Amino acid sequence: MVKTLVLQDINLSGLDLDKDKYIIFKQSQSVKPCVGCFGCWVKTPGKCVIKDSDSDFAVKMPHVEEVIIISELVFGGLSPNVKAVLDRSIGFILPFFCKVNGEMHHKQRYDKRPNLKYMLYGEKMPEAEKVTAQKLIKANATNLGADKFSVEFYNSTAELLEDLKQ
Amino acid sequence: MMKILCINGSPKSKNSSSELLINELCKMLGINNEYTTTKTMGVTKQEFLEKFEGVDVAVVVFPLYVDGIPSNLLRLLYESKDELKNINSDVVIYAISNNGFFEGKQNALALDMIKHFCEAAGVKWGQGLGIGAGGMLTVAPIGAGPLKSIGADLKTFSANINESISSDNLFTQPNFPKLLYKLGGHANWKKSAKENGLKIKDLYERR
Repeated sequence: MVKTLVLQDINLSGLDLDKDKYIIFKQSQSVKPCVGCFGCWVKTPGKCVIKDSDSDFAVKMPHVEEVIIISELVFGGLSPNVKAVLDRSIGFILPFFCKVNGEMHHKQRYDKRPNLKYMLYGEKMPEAEKVTAQKLIKANATNLGADKFSVEFYNSTAELLEDLKQ
Repeated sequence: MMKILCINGSPKSKNSSSELLINELCKMLGINNEYTTTKTMGVTKQEFLEKFEGVDVAVVVFPLYVDGIPSNLLRLLYESKDELKNINSDVVIYAISNNGFFEGKQNALALDMIKHFCEAAGVKWGQGLGIGAGGMLTVAPIGAGPLKSIGADLKTFSANINESISSDNLFTQPNFPKLLYKLGGHANWKKSAKENGLKIKDLYERR
């Protein structure tokens, strides 16, 4: 059974990843942005209404144990193309609200939800941006209902790929 | 007199909370400034950068998407970060993020990301304003009824822009019961479902 769904902004084709374990999500070169229509909640619940394969990420998420996001660290967050996929994946959760730790969040659509792992890379990543990224994954995990989450930083994609091989 | 650029970070072409907030903010900033606006959907990096020419202040107004900046705006900021300083190194950037949750504080990370953009681009960061319950912005005039608190904080924020003051971020939400906001939201989702020919249970579909 496939256990890990990988969203990435680097070329992983050189890696010999176990196909039974990993699904490498191949998004478009320039993912169409979410248009804020809420169609993924009230027209085609659970899936973005834009008819292209970038809408599939949200549908794959409930069927894996872990989501790994490999991204350049951009302003303490994810890179634009990776973020565009996530923006279009909020159908993974429900529109309805609930309270988590005293704050308002969305209810979960699925009982089984993947853990989150962010592998972020960049040259000379500012410490302040790393701090923001650590807070970001915690916030994303709360909103996506992930029980476990972790973030790793890499000074180069080569270093990141080396870690992924292990 | 200042030249102020308002950047609409919403991907929606009309009726966005960002547009409404820009209009209210410009009213508060007063008639002594000169205003220009730009959208961020279907805009090239070059067109975006040109908007910064000669402005004193840029205010980025956007909805919170997945705890961060919506991708349409993020892409433009990312592509512009190395060149902005050549176009305008003196611009001061302010930001307003609004979210559909109740608490304004949930915009904190997205505002920090705009601050990090300023640090990466080498321009001055002014202040951020995080607004909660953005879906309520049309229920009353800003500054009246349940939007009195948001109006007061937007006023403080606009005064800081007029004085070019850099300060800690402000967070605000309607002076309205959280429970009623939640129930109103739920009623709206159910109404939308029916309008789209769906049953309420369809909203819970699992794929």
